[in-house]
Amino acid sequence: MNAAVAQSPIVSITNVTKDYTLGKVVVPALRGVDLQVHPGEFISIAGPSGSGKTTLLNLIGCVDTATSGVVSVAGQDTKQLTERQLTHLRLHTIGFIFQSFNLVSVLSVFQNVEFPLLLQRKLDKNQRKERVNQLLEQVGLAHHAKHRPNELSGGQRQRVAVARALVTRPQLVLADEPTANLDSVTGQHIIDLMKELNQKEGTTFIFSTHDAKVMNHANAVVRLADGKILDRLTPSEAKRALAVGAEGH
Amino acid sequence: MFQLFLIAFRNLGTHRRRTLLLGGAIAGVTALLVILMGLSTGMKETMLRSATTLATGHVNVGGFFKVTAGQAAPVVTAYPKILELVRKEVPELDYAVQRGRGWAKIVSESASMQVGVGGIDVKDEPGFRQVLQIHEGNLDGLNEQGTVLLFEKQAKRLQVKVGDTVTISAPTMRGTNNTVDVRVAAIATDVGMMSDFNVFVPSNTLRSLYQLRDDTTGALYLYLKDVNQVPVVQARLRTVLADAGHQLMDNDPRAFWMKFEVVNREAWTGQKLDITNWEDELSFITWTLTALNGLTGILIFVLLVIIGVGIMNTLWIAIRERTREIGTLRAIGMQRTRVVAMFLFEAMTLGALGTLAGALIGLAVCLGVDAAHVGVPAAVAMFIMSDRLHLVVNAGSVVGAMVFITTCTTLISLIPSFLAARLKPVTAMHHIG
Repeated sequence: MNAAVAQSPIVSITNVTKDYTLGKVVVPALRGVDLQVHPGEFISIAGPSGSGKTTLLNLIGCVDTATSGVVSVAGQDTKQLTERQLTHLRLHTIGFIFQSFNLVSVLSVFQNVEFPLLLQRKLDKNQRKERVNQLLEQVGLAHHAKHRPNELSGGQRQRVAVARALVTRPQLVLADEPTANLDSVTGQHIIDLMKELNQKEGTTFIFSTHDAKVMNHANAVVRLADGKILDRLTPSEAKRALAVGAEGH
Repeated sequence: MFQLFLIAFRNLGTHRRRTLLLGGAIAGVTALLVILMGLSTGMKETMLRSATTLATGHVNVGGFFKVTAGQAAPVVTAYPKILELVRKEVPELDYAVQRGRGWAKIVSESASMQVGVGGIDVKDEPGFRQVLQIHEGNLDGLNEQGTVLLFEKQAKRLQVKVGDTVTISAPTMRGTNNTVDVRVAAIATDVGMMSDFNVFVPSNTLRSLYQLRDDTTGALYLYLKDVNQVPVVQARLRTVLADAGHQLMDNDPRAFWMKFEVVNREAWTGQKLDITNWEDELSFITWTLTALNGLTGILIFVLLVIIGVGIMNTLWIAIRERTREIGTLRAIGMQRTRVVAMFLFEAMTLGALGTLAGALIGLAVCLGVDAAHVGVPAAVAMFIMSDRLHLVVNAGSVVGAMVFITTCTTLISLIPSFLAARLKPVTAMHHIG
């Protein structure tokens, strides 16, 4: 168990359900999920498509609300917060890395990374510049600061997204299939980068993936199926479990 | 904030064709508004310059004298005392003149016509020389008693030229006609409607025609240094003249000759003063300005509605296209108010750029038309008191038009902006389209 586990959890999910209504049909996406994530953990959420990975990340990221149950982030019950407070929580506590990068196409790399800092209004111009340049240096894009997203490769764009997610020094970073749109080598680089930042900065990472190679880097793999958590495994256990699953097929 | 402006500005640049179309429409409306305002201001300025010199002052102290209840004459008795009081109480005054007022038939050997007869002391009227262009003869000829100034069209109709003699025949209150023979001293170029029914004779000639005393005149025309002071001066004069013991008529914003019927119906006798301004005296022609302003208002309203629909539609499309972006920004911590601000900035930037372009186009058209001395048909010239189009661009009005249209485009975009802000981050992020 990681030393961080001893601290109070940064994410605590208790008996959470989430239903989507499609016309007259109610589709359950999560069915009674319990999960605790502690500061400094590097957790992978694994499972097949439709298992509820993205829904779970959305609830943790306060961009969606649970149908029932309690979702606590950084000690705050998200159901008790107003829309404004939720936005504030996202801005100051959580960083997002999206599968499709989701960069603002009309802003440069530098401006995209700087944007959350501008929303926070905590740092002055020089401090922002220093912080952004430092992060771009870390993700290896210092020479691309003035480029627009459409002038970058997929891997470079995702590195910008990583920099944007980390620029506010959030306690928690959520990454929804961060390598899904990247080739294996670039994907590996992104995971290495996230891992490095996790170890250096102590930032908690929760990322969803169905790629076994990506799971290997996690401290723990939470397996989801049909909206339920099957188990919480170490990467080697997860690898074995996946191998067994593959043989079964 | 700068970043929101930047996003708005660059988004406009990214969708160039859409921006150009909508911006072009906004520019077109602004240009039209500027041109119509230029035309209206030009007409007003021409009227003000021509009509206030020929037919009215900026403020007038006129009135009626009634010997019996039903016999009103448009005269002011003992005017020198009133003039003295006015000069003392109106520091805004540039200069004041007295003008005789009459209505008579002018008869030549071959024709006759009804005209308003103005009695002037031409040597005391600096503005008169600036406004009138003498086609034939000499304006100084009017210093001599028994002379008359006609306008081109009148001279043509009467078939007279400078040096010829015409007879002015005026009905008196007793039902008889007084006549006086006058020599044509000058023929002036027509100045629209004013020159259709006005001739000018020396004050003494008019007094002798009506057999009036020397201290009697038609009205005092007051010319102010700043025409915007008209309401203030008018209000003050009412108080000052009433305090000095003069009887005043109720305010009636019409030309003096339109009031005979009302005045003759009233029971009073003696002198009553009437304080009017230039717009009152020209109310029978300033309707053209009102009509033009009304038409401008309707036209601009209709065009703004069309543009409003265009802006709404464009923002709907923009919001639909950028749903994922909105979701992302909301997810990373942008508050709803800022999403509203982002789209408002976009509409405002588009409005500001469009109106700026439109104002410049409108300005160029106004200056070009004014410099080209574009002639107008006689019927139009009659109303605008000029034989050419005169467009005056007022910087304040142009800025006002720009601010007005930009504000409208920004306000119109409030609805789609609010709807964009209400999008749930999760809905927005997973939107495909």
